[in-house]
Amino acid sequence: MANSNIKNVEWNNVIEAIEECYSLGWSDGLPVVPPEKSRVQEFVDFVGRDPDEILGEVPERRRQVTVLKVAANAVMAGCLPEYFPVVISATEAMLTDEFNLIAPSSSQGGAGILVVVNGPVSRNINMNSKDNVFGPGNRANATIGRAVRLILMNACASIPGLFDRTNIGHPGKYTYCIAENELETHWNPLHVERGFSKEQSTATVFAAWEPRQVRSASEKYAALDSLIDVASTLGTSLANDDSVADGGPLVRQGQILLTMAGASEFWSDWSKNDIRDYVYPRIRRSVGDLKRVKAISGDYVEGDDDRYVQLVPEPEDILIVYAGSPEAAAYRSAVIHSELPKVSSTAVTREIVDTN
Amino acid sequence: MTTTNKRVHQLVDPTTSAIVPEFTLSPRLDSLTNKKMGLIDDAKTNAKELLEELAELLKDDFGIEVQKYYQKPSAGKPTDPEVIKKISQECDFVVVAIGS
Repeated sequence: MANSNIKNVEWNNVIEAIEECYSLGWSDGLPVVPPEKSRVQEFVDFVGRDPDEILGEVPERRRQVTVLKVAANAVMAGCLPEYFPVVISATEAMLTDEFNLIAPSSSQGGAGILVVVNGPVSRNINMNSKDNVFGPGNRANATIGRAVRLILMNACASIPGLFDRTNIGHPGKYTYCIAENELETHWNPLHVERGFSKEQSTATVFAAWEPRQVRSASEKYAALDSLIDVASTLGTSLANDDSVADGGPLVRQGQILLTMAGASEFWSDWSKNDIRDYVYPRIRRSVGDLKRVKAISGDYVEGDDDRYVQLVPEPEDILIVYAGSPEAAAYRSAVIHSELPKVSSTAVTREIVDTN
Repeated sequence: MTTTNKRVHQLVDPTTSAIVPEFTLSPRLDSLTNKKMGLIDDAKTNAKELLEELAELLKDDFGIEVQKYYQKPSAGKPTDPEVIKKISQECDFVVVAIGS
């Protein structure tokens, strides 16, 4: 391990150790596990990769992100070594061109990076996909999501007030990681829909606003219509024309992720695609509504209330994850808007290579 | 005051530093007269208006023509490298507008 990566720090007890890490500016605001060399090495050994291997870059900030830096942040977040393959794949995914990390990690809109874990790994490391799916209470969910945020801050220079210019943000910026409940549904898991096999494990990253829980009557169309209304609301990242090029759609169309809870039998005669077919054309807003709140430019003209704009580009841009309590009745879904138009950032799925 | 025997611990620094490659600035223009100008608009509000106004002023004062106008598909995306290559071949200088 190169000396340039090592800091010699003195402490006498655990409180001092934690305080030293605060002093070094490495924390997200909560206490961290000091990234001692031996512990970081355990993580690197677990995946059997070169610590200096570059997983990706943030070219705009001239940063290179190595296995070693990711391991140090995963240790600080409180991960176990067996979570590390997930953290690596999530990091690789968010450093791809399609994800375009510079946008969600600097924008005023305040994206958290939601990580959805699929496949056997999620069960091997006991991730939560059921009640309290967005936390708290599960170590893997909490610390993998937190590791991603620490990587963003420490390794990708997404530092609040410096390069992270979020105006408000949301608590998912501390940690934002879930698994899909693949064993209690007839639906194809997210990663299978995105071209992987059920036996593969994956991490999907999504530049995400907060999860907006949806309460509805316990009836299919009531549940979907309520969800559609929330997804189509004014004031979201998608229902406006900011940064939309001339000749493009009237609003910044982007992806939406839905988490669906409740018993699988509730949707027994519906597939994920059936849900997409129903909700996709209805996630929209009238030109009149958009003009009234100046979300798009132009004076109101007759007929604007009957003209509609789609907020999601294509049906496949609705990502559906079966997660949350299987016993859920009224609270059956959550809507998560992408912070960005699809042309700026799209969800990316990467395989998790578990060598153990 | 109690004395302590603090132990030294080796921590792995989780942060990165910017790695800036060596580069040389393009030669400065000695005059703007009759130069070819490229414009890049980040697609945010008012960027286009600002560039249009600027183009008019520079045309009046220096006879500058807009050689190439490029609007990004979204402000969050870096300018396409192909566009940068082309614009640098075709223009003497480029002005980028960041709207708000």
